[in-house]
Amino acid sequence: MQDISRRKFLGLMGSAAVLAGLGVAGCGGSGSSSDSGSADAGAGDSGSSSLSGTIVCSGATSFQALVEDAANKFMDANPDVSISVTGGGSGQGLSDVKDGKAQIGRSDVFAEAKLEAADVEKLVDNQVAVVGMGPIVNSNVDVDDLSTEQLKGIFTGEITDWSEVGGTAGPIQVINRKPGSGTRATFEAAVLQGATVPDSWKPVAEEDSSGTVVEKVQQTEGSISYLAFSYYDDSKFKALSVDGVAPTAENVESGDFKIWAYEHCYTPADADEVTKAFIDYMLSDEVQGELVEKDGFIPVSGMKVQKDADGNISNK
Amino acid sequence: MAKTKEEYKDKKMMPKGQLESVGLGLTGACVAVVAIVVVALIFMVAQQGLTTFFADGIGFGSFITGQNWIPSDGRFGALPLIVGSFSVTLLSTLFTLPIALGSAIFVVEIQPGFGRKIFQPLVELLVGIPSVVYGLIGLTVVNAAMRSIFGAAAGTGAGILSGAIVLAVMILPTVTTLSIDALAAVPNAYREGSYALGCTRWQTVWHVVLKSAMPSLMTAVIMGMTRAFGETLAVQMVIGGVEKSMPAGLLDPAATLTTALTSGLSNATTGSVEYHALWSLGLILLAMSLFFILIIHLIGSKGAAKHD
Amino acid sequence: MTRDLDAHAAKIGKQDKIATGILTLIVGLVLALLAAIVVYILFQGLGKMLTPGFLTNSPLDDENPGISFELFDSFYMLLWTLLFSVPISLGAAIFLVEYAPENWVTAAAKTAIETLSSLPSIVVGMFGSLFFVVVCNFHVSILSGALALTMFNIPILVRTIQQALEDVPRSQRDASLAMGLTRWETTTKILLPAAMPAIVTGVVISAGRVFGEAAALIFTSGSAPARLNFASTNFGSPTNPWNIFRPAETMAVHIWKLRMEPSQGNDVIAWGCAAMLMICILLFNVLARVLGKALAKKMTAE
Repeated sequence: MQDISRRKFLGLMGSAAVLAGLGVAGCGGSGSSSDSGSADAGAGDSGSSSLSGTIVCSGATSFQALVEDAANKFMDANPDVSISVTGGGSGQGLSDVKDGKAQIGRSDVFAEAKLEAADVEKLVDNQVAVVGMGPIVNSNVDVDDLSTEQLKGIFTGEITDWSEVGGTAGPIQVINRKPGSGTRATFEAAVLQGATVPDSWKPVAEEDSSGTVVEKVQQTEGSISYLAFSYYDDSKFKALSVDGVAPTAENVESGDFKIWAYEHCYTPADADEVTKAFIDYMLSDEVQGELVEKDGFIPVSGMKVQKDADGNISNK
Repeated sequence: MAKTKEEYKDKKMMPKGQLESVGLGLTGACVAVVAIVVVALIFMVAQQGLTTFFADGIGFGSFITGQNWIPSDGRFGALPLIVGSFSVTLLSTLFTLPIALGSAIFVVEIQPGFGRKIFQPLVELLVGIPSVVYGLIGLTVVNAAMRSIFGAAAGTGAGILSGAIVLAVMILPTVTTLSIDALAAVPNAYREGSYALGCTRWQTVWHVVLKSAMPSLMTAVIMGMTRAFGETLAVQMVIGGVEKSMPAGLLDPAATLTTALTSGLSNATTGSVEYHALWSLGLILLAMSLFFILIIHLIGSKGAAKHD
Repeated sequence: MTRDLDAHAAKIGKQDKIATGILTLIVGLVLALLAAIVVYILFQGLGKMLTPGFLTNSPLDDENPGISFELFDSFYMLLWTLLFSVPISLGAAIFLVEYAPENWVTAAAKTAIETLSSLPSIVVGMFGSLFFVVVCNFHVSILSGALALTMFNIPILVRTIQQALEDVPRSQRDASLAMGLTRWETTTKILLPAAMPAIVTGVVISAGRVFGEAAALIFTSGSAPARLNFASTNFGSPTNPWNIFRPAETMAVHIWKLRMEPSQGNDVIAWGCAAMLMICILLFNVLARVLGKALAKKMTAE
């Protein structure tokens, strides 16, 4: 390659560009063919007695473990069914189910937040669990309770020292999640209440996942972040109560603890039989009664309040 | 007898010619496959990446110069990411260059036996360590070191400096190996001439060897920078991932083009503006790697001209 | 005047000594760094790695999750990557060394390979996630992952094979051509056998790099442990380990994924996995050299 002159190289790039240009029309068409996707889930041949087929379930990682556990039990009972539970995040889950690349798309936000209204209409929202989330701090922080107002101040950069909220003086190290994260969307909706974060302020880290949040909060003195109840671990960090309400499943169910979200399993409106059967299983007592709580989530049936896609909370 | 020999030859001639074209065809097809895939890649990244500007109505200028990358607000300013990428790349090159060059001089000029047989294979082993493993080490060692050195100012310890340190270790073998090749390629006559004039070894290295190896050394550095610019997971694990605004200092958490891509792709839905904007970041990365190649060629042709 | 010269001689002599000292120090530092990295990884992970069951248990095991599926997937993905990339690279390298006419086709091919070599792996992964996964409709699968890795591996392999072929003495080539053998015969019968030790070494070393790659795989072969059933005989089933249309998770991706989940013990598993990965790559390096040497010896013996 060294022996090619610069002029020749530039010429090459030019011809590559021309080739690329010629390809535009052809490839535009092939790109859209993806929609036909992989809905060949093999459900057609499933009899009424024994189920068989393949389900791909991609999306949010926050309750992937719950779905994996349920899927394993379902597969034990139905040996001819294969459920492949993959990650990727809420956005990918919704894209995949919209594009037909997956039969189930997991999301921890309402599809309305990510997809066009026309696409949302083609999907069915199955709320398989509720997840509570709350603020957590490094174990050395001597504050146990923060008001919603104080949290708002901290996460918009107005309050920067622990002494301002009744703790020992020291900088507050805010560890946030990435803007696209469902956990962050839920937390901000409940805490910021419409307040905007100034451009000039930024956290000390924006993490991609709950795993790294736990690690960073554990290691960084004076740090604060937020996390789903299912990941709470007293040996690694301290969970705070909010407005005097402890972060417990009961308080979420009663509506006293405000930071929570649904875990959604979106399916296409024309889902195949095996997918429907698995969703029914997810909503059955076997999962809702045992697995959901075992994995740290809250059954939807126990909720005394409900939330709509716009975040309005009402009594059931 | 002569006739049969002719026949034999004739029989053999045809297959030979065919064999030759089969060989050419087979190997040519391999080359064609590679070329087609590369063209497809360039085309696809360009097609998706340019949609942002042509279909989604985001100005190229504001994309490149915008200082806030907040996709959830529909704000796509890639400057913080571009600045992040360049700062970790330049810093890591700065850290790694003296070490790589020093090692190369040692290997070529001082202890060739030890250097070639033991040192070089060991350094090349560093290339083999996966980037996620570098990330793990960075997360536990480098970030912790930052916190204990700089205290609260370092935040979680994640930031541009941490990223640059991890990258410096990762590109060290690339730059070292290529520098060794560059120095070894300097004709021995140059060195002998210098020694004959009474120069010491160091003078010879400094005034003669390094100077005549300069174009190849620059190529080595650019190759290292190419790797640093494109590195993803190791950087992502140690840089802090703050994309929203411009990094203000070396301890500031930041993000690079590659890290924003990795974390963004899992949250963006296909076909959305955010998805296209992420491809635009990919397009910038692609353009930068082509740019690095171009520089290498410029250096190469300049070096060649000098030798003539 | 003489005193000046003496002083100058002393000065440059001192300079020379200082420079040598500093250079030796740098090399010492690099070696110490290398040792520290390897020792640190092994220190953190070897204990877990040697725990009974870690290498043989399924990652879905409740009691003592292991990395058996990841281990299998890593090697299986590597196998397919090499199946794709070795023949293509071999062909491309032979073309460039033996046939390459001095025209724009050759120049374009060289530029294409060079472009590929400088592409960030995440861009290859991104392209793969659209082209292989969606356009070619291979889904998130071993096939898509192996093809993405092939793109990543081709430039490395082409370069090593090219070098190996060029290093075959000119006289062997000339002798063969002079005897009336065609280029193709010369290549397959003379050059390739002569270059084989170097090619094998290059392939195995490149395998080590492919083995540790994660960024290109996250969006092409997935980041979730597949549920594998080694007793399965249905090759179309996603639980069949040999099915190349199933998603897979390699060890490198597994480390990445474990960081994301705060479950108890994940950090220990990540380090155990890192140690295993590290040892595999060390073995690849040793194997490459041993194989290369053995082949070379066998050939000279003949």
